[in-house]
Amino acid sequence: MPFKFISNSERFLKIIFGVSLFVVLVMGGVAYRYIKELSNSINDVQHNYQVHIELEKMLSALKDAESGKRGFIISQDSTFLLPLLSSNQQIENSLEELKKLTLKDPQQQENIAELKEKIDKSLAIFEKTLQLSIANNPDSREFIAGFREGRQTMNSVRFKINEMTAHENDVLGLAKEKSVRRLSNAPMLLYYVLILSLLILLLTYLQISKNLKVLKVKNELLETFKKSTTQSEVISKHGNWIWHVEEDVYEYSDNLFRLLGEEPQSFEPNLENYLSFVHPDDVEKLSEHVSQMIEHEDLPFIHYRIIQKNGSIKHFKAYAKILVDADGYKRLLGTTADITDEIENYRLIEKRNLELERSNKELSSFNYVASHDLQEPLRKIQTFLSRLEDKEKDNLSNSGKLYIERIKASSSRMRSLIDDLLQFSRTNKSEEALEDSNINILIEAAKTDLAEIIADKKARIIVDDIPSMRAIPFQIKQLFLNLLSNSLKYSRENTSPFITVSYSKTNASDVPKVSHTKYNVFHTITIMDKGIGFDQDYAEKIFVLFNRLHNKNEYSGTGIGLSICKKIVENHNGYIIAKGEVGVGATFTIYLPIT
Amino acid sequence: MREDYTYVVLADDDEDDRLFFIEAFEELKIQTKVEVYKDGIELMCALNQPEAVLPNILFLDLNMPKKSGLECLIEIKENNRFKDIAIAIYSTSASEEDIENTFVQGANIYIKKPSAFNDLKKILSDVVTINWQYHTNGLNKDNFLLRL
Repeated sequence: MPFKFISNSERFLKIIFGVSLFVVLVMGGVAYRYIKELSNSINDVQHNYQVHIELEKMLSALKDAESGKRGFIISQDSTFLLPLLSSNQQIENSLEELKKLTLKDPQQQENIAELKEKIDKSLAIFEKTLQLSIANNPDSREFIAGFREGRQTMNSVRFKINEMTAHENDVLGLAKEKSVRRLSNAPMLLYYVLILSLLILLLTYLQISKNLKVLKVKNELLETFKKSTTQSEVISKHGNWIWHVEEDVYEYSDNLFRLLGEEPQSFEPNLENYLSFVHPDDVEKLSEHVSQMIEHEDLPFIHYRIIQKNGSIKHFKAYAKILVDADGYKRLLGTTADITDEIENYRLIEKRNLELERSNKELSSFNYVASHDLQEPLRKIQTFLSRLEDKEKDNLSNSGKLYIERIKASSSRMRSLIDDLLQFSRTNKSEEALEDSNINILIEAAKTDLAEIIADKKARIIVDDIPSMRAIPFQIKQLFLNLLSNSLKYSRENTSPFITVSYSKTNASDVPKVSHTKYNVFHTITIMDKGIGFDQDYAEKIFVLFNRLHNKNEYSGTGIGLSICKKIVENHNGYIIAKGEVGVGATFTIYLPIT
Repeated sequence: MREDYTYVVLADDDEDDRLFFIEAFEELKIQTKVEVYKDGIELMCALNQPEAVLPNILFLDLNMPKKSGLECLIEIKENNRFKDIAIAIYSTSASEEDIENTFVQGANIYIKKPSAFNDLKKILSDVVTINWQYHTNGLNKDNFLLRL
């Protein structure tokens, strides 16, 4: 989202810039027109002024001629006639000038023609009266008439000039009116445009400051990220590097230098310098990887070793991936990790595993020794004893027979010890997989194995219907065999044993002595007898290997049976708990998790 | 001639076991001819004689020096000449591993050496009188191990 925001605002700024450019152009145009209009007006005024001047000049030349003529007539001094000559020339010039000035005004041209006519007439009258005065006829009627006519034409010239001046003023007035109309809107327009420009400026300022704020936040984030990356590099022992593909330039992070055992940025990061650290045996391999990296612009996971300056060898793992940015600029981002510890740990584990395997092998060979080599001499003793009994019975004294009985009892006890020990060591979890087992059938099988003793003791065994569950069948059969035979063995004298096997379900929180377990509900099988029972103080002890509560003369047994039971239940992630009361009976409760 | 008695051969490195074996058959009132060999090599040499009379039942101890019972079993099962010999494994151990291996290799029955002489007599008498045809057809892992 922030990146979208930035790109949006970039577009916004572009638009703003376009609008501002347009506004400035408009302003320039308007100002240009305004100035142009003003200079036009000045020209008009100047033109008007020039026309005025020329007309004035002409009039004054005419007046000069008139007054010169009058002076001459009065004084007969011919020097008064001098201005007359120059005023003629002056009038000619002014007329020419006026014609040029009013070239674009047909009416003025017409007026000039009329004026010229009138001036010519007036000049002709001048000449006439002048001649009359030279002829010394000032008092003649002709002279006076000429004089009067002269005054009239002079008036008409003055009148015409006034008319022309008025016309010129009219034209100026019109032009002025027109330009005033045109210019009156200009200041307002400029003002609006100015306001608009200010608004745009303000908007731009707001947008840029907003962008700057966002960039600042982003910068801070980047800074934080950079710091945490540096920190994680140190903690997890890895370094980052960048290869700029086009320029073939490398950048190494500080920690990469530290991994090489060097001060950060202490040498120029390039391939040659880096390879000088690599273990001689791995240089070839790494160079090959690098040339493939250069070719494919990619680096899969590789392993190699380096040697630090202090001589210690480190194991490195590297990986890199290409990053192409929006402008198509390619960079290979790489990570190199020091996995020396990992490899050492792995080797240690491997070593331990080997040791474990060896000790397991020793154990299983011990099993074989126990099952085969220990049983063999025992079997021989027993077989020879049976031969002795069969063949030499009559040759033995009574005490000899007793000794044979004792040897027989001892050897059969040794046999059951060996058998039970084997059973215990074979009760291993890894041997058999869990399968759906019908517990009722397994209990029935255990009862069948005990059929003889059940019949002998006239025992009654009542078994609830137990649902199927995931179990190792032969172990569960062994479990019930041991528990039932236990109950049968420790029954009260002269009372036929009564054993109940009941089933229920228990929530994990209600299983005694269990603080936490990953299972929620447990199958609960309870085996209860009304035998001789035991002291509750020994409830834990009876599950310990070779622990017996009774002298072996009273009750036979090896002290292994219940240990096997415990081991079987634990193989099934369950719990077994014993409860007893002397003279009342014993209760064994088995909790097996429902999976 | 061969119909008159059952020819029984035992290969066992244990002198006592060979003695019990011979004595048991002596006491049994069954027409048998008993031959014993003290290891696998000796047994295989005898069997591989071209003119050798082949036994009806061969008892193999598993744990023997030089050539074990299992090796003998494999060798015998590879040779078509011996296909009619019924093979009984006769061992002290009754470990699952041994039972499994010998069953897979094609032994006909597995006997755990008993610790009473009378039991031995009973087992040997049972084995000799088994209808092998019938037994072999219905053989499975459960009845492979002979129980008393």
